[in-house]
Amino acid sequence: MKKAVFEDFDGYDDIIGEIEYSRKFGVDYTQERSMPERFINRLHPPRLRLRLGEIIEETASAKTFRLVSEENELPPFLAGQYISLLVETGGILTNRPYSISSPPNQAGFWDITVRRVPSGLVSNFLLDHVKKGEILHSSGPCGNFYHNPLFHDKSIVLIAGGAGITPFMSMIREIAECGLDRHVHLFFGSKTLEEALFHHELTSLSARFENIQYLPVIEKPSEDYPGTVGLITGKLIQEKLGDLSGKTFYLCGPQGLYDFCIPELEELGIPGRKIRKEVYGAPLEVSACPGWPREIHANQAFSIAVKEKGTISARAGEPVIKSLEKAGLTLKALCRSGECSMCRVRVVSGRVFQPKGVPVRKSDTQFGYVHACVSYPLGDLEIEI
Amino acid sequence: MDDYDAIVIGAGNGGLTASTALAQKGLRVLLLERHNIPGGCATSFCRGRFEFEVALHQLSGMGTPTKPGPLRMMLGSLGVLDQLELVEMPDLYTVVMPDGFKIGFKPDKNHVLGELKARFPHEHQAIDTFFNLVYAYANQMLAAFFFKDPEPSREKYPDMYACAFKTAAQVLDELFTDPLLKAVISVYWGYIGLPPDRLAFPYLAMIFFTYIEFKPFHIKGGSQALSNVIVNKFLSHGGTVRYNCAVKKIIVEDGAVKGVVTEDGDRIGSRFVVSNASQISTYVGLMDPEHVPDGVQREMRGRSLSPSAFTLFVGFDCEPDALGFTEPTSFLLKDLDVSDRMLGRMGELSIGDQPMVLSCYDVADPDFSPPGTCQANIVILKYGKAWLRVPPREYHSVKFKCAEEMLRRVEEIYPGVRGHIEELEVATPLTHMRYLGHPEGAIYGYEQYIKDSMFFQPGRYSPIHGLYFASGWVGDCGFHPTLQAGLRVAKSIVRKLEKEEK
Repeated sequence: MKKAVFEDFDGYDDIIGEIEYSRKFGVDYTQERSMPERFINRLHPPRLRLRLGEIIEETASAKTFRLVSEENELPPFLAGQYISLLVETGGILTNRPYSISSPPNQAGFWDITVRRVPSGLVSNFLLDHVKKGEILHSSGPCGNFYHNPLFHDKSIVLIAGGAGITPFMSMIREIAECGLDRHVHLFFGSKTLEEALFHHELTSLSARFENIQYLPVIEKPSEDYPGTVGLITGKLIQEKLGDLSGKTFYLCGPQGLYDFCIPELEELGIPGRKIRKEVYGAPLEVSACPGWPREIHANQAFSIAVKEKGTISARAGEPVIKSLEKAGLTLKALCRSGECSMCRVRVVSGRVFQPKGVPVRKSDTQFGYVHACVSYPLGDLEIEI
Repeated sequence: MDDYDAIVIGAGNGGLTASTALAQKGLRVLLLERHNIPGGCATSFCRGRFEFEVALHQLSGMGTPTKPGPLRMMLGSLGVLDQLELVEMPDLYTVVMPDGFKIGFKPDKNHVLGELKARFPHEHQAIDTFFNLVYAYANQMLAAFFFKDPEPSREKYPDMYACAFKTAAQVLDELFTDPLLKAVISVYWGYIGLPPDRLAFPYLAMIFFTYIEFKPFHIKGGSQALSNVIVNKFLSHGGTVRYNCAVKKIIVEDGAVKGVVTEDGDRIGSRFVVSNASQISTYVGLMDPEHVPDGVQREMRGRSLSPSAFTLFVGFDCEPDALGFTEPTSFLLKDLDVSDRMLGRMGELSIGDQPMVLSCYDVADPDFSPPGTCQANIVILKYGKAWLRVPPREYHSVKFKCAEEMLRRVEEIYPGVRGHIEELEVATPLTHMRYLGHPEGAIYGYEQYIKDSMFFQPGRYSPIHGLYFASGWVGDCGFHPTLQAGLRVAKSIVRKLEKEEK
């Protein structure tokens, strides 16, 4: 056989020697079988089997579900993160994100707290049908709503509305139980005091810890309610905090809370980078969102042709992901708020409505990819999942 | 009959170009990707109002329309060039140090020489000698291998014969005495993964040559735009892509590939399988041991894993110049020691004094981030092994501690950056391992010692009939090499089919 050119290069024999040596004393990669997965699953398991250890009545309309791992140890999470529960109810396989309300130092179980939502498919299924001892499936912890010590202040202002208190419970409990060097001001907006989740625990924590301050703000109080009433206004925040500098603000609650409170904070001169807001699901009534085409009624029916899967029926006011689920096509979604991009699908033809501010990659937009959890058909569609 | 003419596992750069080139030739191709999005490394993710670029720093080999480089020609042949908006980057690179030292180069040979000589007048002649050698080496290499000289000889190509198997440090030490100059000239080792003591001189030479001759580029929309454009082309040729579909097994019978089994249990037949995954994952993870030929195990034993990376993705609420980011690519040096001790430090969790690269794409492309903002991608190379030893419960605190150390290093040079951070995401070697599936999160595949170069390794071929590899694991790593790797595999398969027809 003809000698290759490079065999004459200076140093060739040394390289051959090096190869022999490295093969003799090298690495046995057969040990690598499924290694990446095993390591990653300790932090980011794709699926967890959880047993419902306890159900705790919190208020007339909310319960805490205590979830215990059936298999391995629960993976770590950051206070504020959520898990996505995979639930089959009414013949529909779907998922819902729930913030973990127990603190990260509690490695034995996770608590999620669920409040009844009118016509809420999954919340009502959990509240009414799921029993202690049953098995639930969830994703690993995910989400970007947590205290980032690299640039968030140690002094934090938490603004919660309704069930939006849950991620903050995890944060506050961690601060209390682990003695973290953080100062908390919690403003908790609730319709009534009776509905305010964790009110007693929060009152007692704020009495015991100097660095935890709690203020319930009741929108529709009973006549003799002596506490703070109304909405969480800039004036109230300014009055309670005094100096607004060196503080990071976190908001979690329904869209109405954001629509009201964020302008109030901006009015106080809080820079945008200091205002963190958790995603809170798809809009309740998308046809009321700015930019919704007035000629299209939320109940208008359309069809979606799903490549290789067949044609399904859809409704303008319902996100594409739901129509898919009703037809038995479940996507691997997590946040259901447009943020995680797991339900990325391609719209081949037809028009969809996407509420303003949904983070979609620029080139995805260019090629018709949308996040199905916050995309609404404005006509017949052809999509690829 | 087979379900597909070819199955491609993985929609990274190599998998994308392989499947598209095969589909372009009329083959029925199935592309399987375990994630919900194509690209592998060539991707992006959103946080707040930012879309963060994951991997692409400076696209090499592109060239201008009038003087096209190999990558431009490749993308042209795939038919995707007109859908990409390419931005020529105005700078080669800048080196900055906390003591105020700063030197920057335009992608222009005379500018590089001029700046170096002005700063290091005592090494005036050696600088000329070095760049003459870089150019001579590159031109000889191209003449002998790219243009396939039928009769190469030592007389025709003296520098190639003399330097092909030298390390960068050998060449630098022969010519230069100033350690600062040596460090400044060799910072691109970070794009290959081995410090100059271990880095093959040819890599350093070719990287200078291609960036200066064909200019560094950036893509509007980032590397995800490239991935999306290629997938779109693949679909338009009738290709089929399945996302969220990992392969569990490659079926082998009598030393030949028969198809794959997906994680959902689907058996799909094909006599050609292209793996965009590592050889380790492919042979060890996807095949039964009895099907893996002995030679393969032996060959793999001799390879080592490249470093992974620790990366900060930072979104700022101001323009780049307000932070002092005036060039798109800056190497932040602290300690000039680029000897073997560097390898040891790369194996530690702690950030220490290692070099890092800060890329601010907005300097070259003001539309990259939303108006009035900018983003930086700050990377340091770290071997993944130390991260495998971090107990899961400690993971977040170790991650933040290292990120804090890194951010302080950045603040030494750009004071005040922290006060403008609006978003900040940290990726550790485990993050790279999670999203790439590479053992130990090795971002550059196998390490690229001289012994690992194309002369000595099986590259895209396998002793198993019908199995090919297209990725950063088959030879050089980086965008241009991996995109090319896929095209080469496609060519091999097409050639094989043509031969059979005859």
